[in-house]
Parts: sequence; structure tokens; C-alpha cells
Amino acid sequence: MSTRNPSLNRSLHVAPFPSRRLNRWAEVVWRVAGSVDVRTKILGMVLALTALLGLAVTLQVRTVMTRVFAEELENRGISVASDLASRSIDPILLNDTYTLHQLLRETVSNHPDALYAFVTDDHGQVLAHTFGDAGFPAGLLDSELLDAAAANTHGDIRHWVYASNEGIVHEMIAPIMAGSAGVVRLGLTENRLQTVVNTVTGQMILTTLLVALAGIVAAMILTWLLTRPILDLVATTREVGRGNLQARAPHWADDEIGTLADAFNQMVSDLDASQRAVTEKEQARFELLKKLITAQEEERKRIARELHDGVGQMLTSLMVGIRTMQRAGNAELNAGRMDELCTTAGETLEQVRTLSRELRPSLLDDLGLAAALERYTAEFAHTYRATDVDLHCDLPTRLSGPIETALYRIVQEAMTNAARHGKASVLSVLVNRRATTVQAIIEDDGAGFDVAAVRKRQSSVGIFGMNERAELLGGTLDIESGPEGTTVYVEIPL
Amino acid sequence: MIKFALGLCLLMLVACTPAQTGVLPYIDLSVRTPLPQAAPAELAHLRVGVAAILSPQGTVASYSHLAEHLAEKLGRPVDLVQRRTYAELNDMVEESQVELAFICTNAYVVGSEQFGMELLLAPEINGKSVYYSRLIVPADSAAQSMDDLRNKVFAFTDPMSFTGRIYPVYLLQQMGQTPERFFQRTFYTYSHDRAIEAVADGVADGAAVDSLVLDHALQRNPELAARIRIIHTSEAFGIPPVVVPPTLPPRQKAQLRDLLSSMHEDAAGKEVLLELGIDRFVAIDNAAYDGVRAIVHATGIGE
Repeated sequence: MSTRNPSLNRSLHVAPFPSRRLNRWAEVVWRVAGSVDVRTKILGMVLALTALLGLAVTLQVRTVMTRVFAEELENRGISVASDLASRSIDPILLNDTYTLHQLLRETVSNHPDALYAFVTDDHGQVLAHTFGDAGFPAGLLDSELLDAAAANTHGDIRHWVYASNEGIVHEMIAPIMAGSAGVVRLGLTENRLQTVVNTVTGQMILTTLLVALAGIVAAMILTWLLTRPILDLVATTREVGRGNLQARAPHWADDEIGTLADAFNQMVSDLDASQRAVTEKEQARFELLKKLITAQEEERKRIARELHDGVGQMLTSLMVGIRTMQRAGNAELNAGRMDELCTTAGETLEQVRTLSRELRPSLLDDLGLAAALERYTAEFAHTYRATDVDLHCDLPTRLSGPIETALYRIVQEAMTNAARHGKASVLSVLVNRRATTVQAIIEDDGAGFDVAAVRKRQSSVGIFGMNERAELLGGTLDIESGPEGTTVYVEIPL
Repeated sequence: MIKFALGLCLLMLVACTPAQTGVLPYIDLSVRTPLPQAAPAELAHLRVGVAAILSPQGTVASYSHLAEHLAEKLGRPVDLVQRRTYAELNDMVEESQVELAFICTNAYVVGSEQFGMELLLAPEINGKSVYYSRLIVPADSAAQSMDDLRNKVFAFTDPMSFTGRIYPVYLLQQMGQTPERFFQRTFYTYSHDRAIEAVADGVADGAAVDSLVLDHALQRNPELAARIRIIHTSEAFGIPPVVVPPTLPPRQKAQLRDLLSSMHEDAAGKEVLLELGIDRFVAIDNAAYDGVRAIVHATGIGE
């Protein structure tokens, strides 16, 4: 997807809601949440969850407690009022005001939520009450207020609620002997229950705060656990970026971040290996170049020596012979000399040809790889008499010049190595053409050598040269060597 | 994000706060006034005292219709007045705080001797104006006579009750015993129906009760018969009378006597009498209570 407009892209990124307004909100939330670091995010999540849970539970408990307590208060009020009503009958009928008063006073003092109680006769006259000597609350005698107020009825008991200077009061009005002997009115206050609810709420909020505090500590540890390996990884990345391929990210745990650290370490380690391989190859090339230059000088020295010692000597001897013939002038004697000189000239020519062929086999250019190898094998057999060479060349057509040269030189090097270093007694050379490649296998029964060690030491320019020739043409070269001999496999694409 | 969550919580807090339905009426309980005095009645109430032969509620249940009937006939309100003990009611009769009283036989014997309490009428049941003291025990009790109640718990009704206290004490006296020595423990129930209940519930091992109350209770509540057993019934005594204070004006006394003694003559009055378990009110002679007097004086208590 193309990024035509960054802001459009962002709004597309967070648009989970069908409403545009909601999406705008989501975007704002995401912008705030996205801009803070992981530590703040986790801390925020933990705090938000703790606070949410704590408040929700507190509210739930508060609501349930308030409801249960209200029900309990009502039920208790009903039972106490009904008890009072039945126990008031005798004192009222017997005109025993003192007992009635005692009954009310004891009932109120025995019930922590009871605020007051009083009994009126069937004409509304107050017979006994618990307000003491300071008079009777005028508001409670206001029958209009009572009649207008909403009330629940439980059997024959009325329950109504009013606000007062002492808080919310639940008043139970129970008729005595179905009202014929009057009514008892019992006032209950919510204050104690409200205090209990508030205490519990306070405790729960305190608990929530403590849990939130523990949550902060846990979140900090969690954040440290989560971000520490990431920060380490970042530091290691920077170190690697500065070129220190030995830097490794610590493996903290067997989780995703641990796996990431492992993968990262593997990558750095692979990078290190490949860089080392490049360095080694460069080193080998440098060595090869040095040896090539030396070899070139050696070759020049050899040619110069051969020209000087061989061809030069023979030409000198020819010149001396011709001078002698000039001075002598004796035809008969000269005839014999002439034969000698001819032989010397022939030998000289032969030496020049050998020299020339050694420098570059013209057969390779003229007749191709198969012929060149046959010729080389014949010469090889002449040079290394202890080694039997078996050559099989299956090349129906000529190959390209570079491939023929490369294969010729590789086979030449391998055969020389087998005879010179391996002291092989049997050497088999197989060259054949396949559909898309040409393959050469040089096998001997020589002493063998440690291929890896030799390659690592870069001591053998020969082996490195063979490798380079094959790789330059996109081919491969493998060497297998053991006590029972050495095999060199070469495969070059056509 | 945190702000958003807090906002949500605040919303929940507001939503979950228990709402008081509507606006509550307000009463300031600290504003006190002296209690208003009861307005004097326009019409003088007829105050009828009823002795605590029955429990206060039982008395109201039995006598409220009589009170209503009297109020209707007299054209003025009638108040039923009860007191815990017979003695208290006797005091009220003496001080003319009641104008008419239904009392126990012993209360009459004592009252007539102390301050000249006057007989008005007496109930008649099945042609007789007599009643008995019956000794009852729980149905599962093995007791066959007063003698078997030795070292048991006995319930008296009222200290002044003839059938509920004086008669059983008299029985013990005949046996050469006193309640304190004979019974393990005694207590007062202050009414006959409570004494019956105390025996039926096994709270007391025995009690002596007014035959009128017991018969009436058994009639109203037949399953009671399965819970108690009568082991002794006394000889017949004069029935508890209707009395008036000696100071009651003769005209008023005559009015009340006429009213009560003619009750059985109309249907409404008959219904009220039926509820009280009596046939009619009849005149009675002071001599009808001589049997009671003899026993009261023999025991020397309840005076």
C-alpha cells in the first residue's frame, strides 16, 4: 500500500469503530498511548486495571451492603415494632404507664439503630415515649405530614422514611390490637449502618490503594524484565553497527525476546564467519599474487638459464663449428663436421620447441583439450616413470577456450601433486561432458593429505589456484583425501 | 488511557450511588413541645371496671361488646377499665373511680366488709348463679388429687382470687398443709386464662381455676381439652357478682340494674350475653356468698 498521505495512513491505522467520532477518540487515545514508553504503558495498564477493579468491587459491595442493610433495618424494625405492639397491649389495657414506658425505654436501649419509640392511644394521645423530660418533637405529631408521606405496608405495619436533623429515619407504625388500643411508632436511624458501609468502603479503597501500590512495584519489575533484554539488544545492535562482530546479546529467558536475541546472535555470528571467509580469501589471493609474481620471475630465470645454458651453448658450439669449417676449408673434413653441426642445430631446435610447449601447449589451441591431455600424459609418463596414468577423455566437441585452459591446468596441477607429493602409483583421469556441465575426476592411490588444514593454512598455492580457476568460471572444485588416496572433483558449467 | 478509565469509574460511581426516592419529608426532632393535654370529654364516660379474671386482652375480647351495648343504651361513651390485681380494682370501686364493676367473689366479700361495696346483680347460667373452683393438671400428668401435687409447681391466679388461690389454700389447710411447705414453688398468673395456659403448656404442674372461665375456654377452644385434665371440682359457690360503689346515686344504680337485667329481652343484648357465656343478669342475695365468706375467714387470707 502506498503512503500517499501520512495522516490518512495514520487514521486508517486506527479506525476500528464505525463512527467517525469514536475513531477520532481512538486516534487521540492511540496518539497518547503510542507516544509514551513501554514502562509507562505497562504501569498505566496495571494501575488502570487495579483502580477499575478496586472501584468496581467497592461500588458493588457498597451497593449490595447498603441494600442488604436497608432490608435488614426494615425487617428488624418490623419485627421490633410488631413485638412492641403486642407487648404494649397489657400495659395499655391495665393503664400501666410505667411498664409501658419501661418497655419502650428498654426496647430503644437494646436496639442500636432505634432512635425513639412512643405509643399513642386510639385518640392520638401520647401514652408513653422515650424523649425524656425535654418535651416531645412537634413534627412527629403532625398527622398531615404523616398522611402525605409515601409508605410501604408490611402486614398491618406501616413503614415510612423521613429526613431529620439526626439523619434519615425509618419509622415503623404498628397498630396495637388492630388499632383499637392505639399505635406504637418506632424510629430507626440509618446512621450506624451508614457508618459501617462507609467504614467498609474506606477499607476497600485503602486496600485498592495498597494493591495499586503493589501493582506499581510489580509493573516496575515486569517492565524491567521486559525492557531490559530489549535495551540490551539495542545496545548490542549499536555495538555490532560500530563494527564489533564479537558483541553478543545476552539470552535472558526462553521467551520470544530470548529467541530474538538468539536469532540476532546467530546473524552476527554468521556475519562474522562470512567476513572472516572474505578476509581469508583475500589473504589467499594476496599470497597467490605474490607467488605468481615470484613464479613468473622463477620461470623467466629458468627460461633465461635454459636459453643461456642449453640453446646458447649449442648455438655457440654451432658458431664455433662453422668458424672452424671456414678456416679449415677442407671439404672432406667439413662434410663430417657438417653432419655434426646439423645434429647440434636439430637438438637446439628441439630444445626451443620443448621450451615453447612448456610455456603454452599449442596443441590445446590447435587440437583441443583431449589431444593436449593425451600429449601431457605421455610426457608425464616419461617424466614420472613410477606412476601409471589412465586417461579417459569423453569430449565429442571442443569446449570454449577458457574452460579448456582451466581444466588443462587443473588436471596438470592435480597430476603433478599426485606424483610429486602423494607418490601415487596409479593415477586415473576422467574428463567427460554432461548436458550442461563438464566434469573432471582425478583419482590417485597416493598418501593423501589433510585438505582442510592445507586450505586453512593457505600454504598450497596450487590448490588455491585450482579452486580459483574453477570458481572464476562459476564451477566447483572438491577434494577428498584419505590414507587410500586423493580424489579431485571439478565441475564447470558450459 | 488512565484518565479514560478513571472517568468510567466516576460515571459508575455516580450511577451506582443509592438514590433516595423523591424528596423526603423533613422533621426536626430537636424542636420539642410539651405534650398536649387530652381535651375534657363532652359527655361523662361510664367507667366499667372488669377484674382480671381473664387476661387484659381476653377481657377486651369478652367485654367490649357489652361496653358498646351499654354505650348505645345509655347514650354516652363507656370505658372498660382494667387493673392488674383484684385489689387495685377494689380500690377504684371504693374511690368511685368506676361506676360499675365485674369482680371476683372474694373481692366482693372483702369489699363489702371493708367499705360497703354494693351488690347490683349476678349472672345466671343454666338457671343457677353458682360457679366452682376446678383443679386442673396437664393431660399427661399422673396426679389424681391435690395430694399428688406435692413438691410440684402450682399456679395461683390472683392473691385475692377465691377460686384461684383461697380455695386451693383451703384444700391444703384441710390436709394440714400450707402452700409454702406442700408445693415446690408457686407463682401468680394474674388471670384465669393464663393459669389454664400455664398448665396446658406444662409451665405449672397444677392450678385452680374459675369454672366459668374454664368451661368458656373449653367451649371456644376444644383442643384445649386434650391438653389439660380436671382432677377436682369444688362445691358450688356464689357466682362472681356485678357491683357498684356505695356512693353511686340510687337513680343511676337503678338505671344500670334495669339495663343489665333486661338485656336478655332483646336480640342485641342476647348476643352480647351469649358472648359472655351467661344467660341473663339476675338479682342476688348477699347470703349467696356465705359459703365463700366461711372459707375466706377459715383461711384468713386475701383480706
